[in-house]
Amino acid sequence: MGPRSAGAVVGLVFGFVLCWSGMIDPNVIREALLFENAYLFLFFGSAVLVATVGVELLRHWRARALLTGAPVSWTRERAGRRHVVGSALFGLGWGVANACPGPIAAQIGQGILWAIPLLAGVVIGVLLFQRGGAVETEPPIDAAAKPTPSAVPVTQSG
Amino acid sequence: MTAPFDQQLAWYIAGPIMGLCVVACRALFNGRLGVTGGFSEVVGKLRRRNVRFDWRGWFLIGIAVSGTLFVLLAGDQSFSGYGWLTETFHGVGRIAIPFLLLGAGVLVGYGAKTAGGCTSGNGLTGTSLLSPASLVSTATFFATAIAVSFLIEAVI
Repeated sequence: MGPRSAGAVVGLVFGFVLCWSGMIDPNVIREALLFENAYLFLFFGSAVLVATVGVELLRHWRARALLTGAPVSWTRERAGRRHVVGSALFGLGWGVANACPGPIAAQIGQGILWAIPLLAGVVIGVLLFQRGGAVETEPPIDAAAKPTPSAVPVTQSG
Repeated sequence: MTAPFDQQLAWYIAGPIMGLCVVACRALFNGRLGVTGGFSEVVGKLRRRNVRFDWRGWFLIGIAVSGTLFVLLAGDQSFSGYGWLTETFHGVGRIAIPFLLLGAGVLVGYGAKTAGGCTSGNGLTGTSLLSPASLVSTATFFATAIAVSFLIEAVI
């Protein structure tokens, strides 16, 4: 199995849980953002907690990636203006549509017709960004990214 | 919908599985799980008439297929209508909905690319790596979306 098929399997699990947890339902997201329901925050918080412990253990064990043999490492990026501006634009869109990219993809798979203009918008947004000639902000493999002055490398010594 | 899919999966099962997805990408190929990265890969490759997507593209395809799989197993779509939009706009007014969704989609796509991640890339993955950029991004998009939701609630 290579990274491509592994990525597809993780996507299947990730998307299925998004569907089963109701996270693709705009009403559920809206109720959460209006603090009428705590599910989203408990779901999100427990996901972050498990992920934090998991990746910290991998780093502690100085693990190598099972499929590629590459050392498990990443960079911690300093916060800049683009993170605030980009996330404010993203939050505005999320607050109006009550769906973010994962749920939008799952909605399309479910055949939800209202998701078609939303998907078209996301594609246009990504195209606008790429046409601006900006560098890829989300490389496939962290370790392959050259450390930039704004990135603080995390050593394997932890 | 048919059991057990008619019941919302408990958060203490659903959340940790999402966390394990982040760990799996790291453990298997040192990948940074993020759905916007998948959109970026698919859109970028298709522009060059190339369909040899890397894992990020296949991750996105997996999510879409999971939606179809869920409908087949549950017997129905997860919801009908589209949240506050179909509750608010009726009759001819519904013509506004696709335009609002298109505009929101552009903001979601462009904003996430600018910030280097969405709710998954920055919110889940970056936050779990304790990356300052992702912590700031996550606080910003949650605060903005909460403010926008209360604003919409006040107006409609």
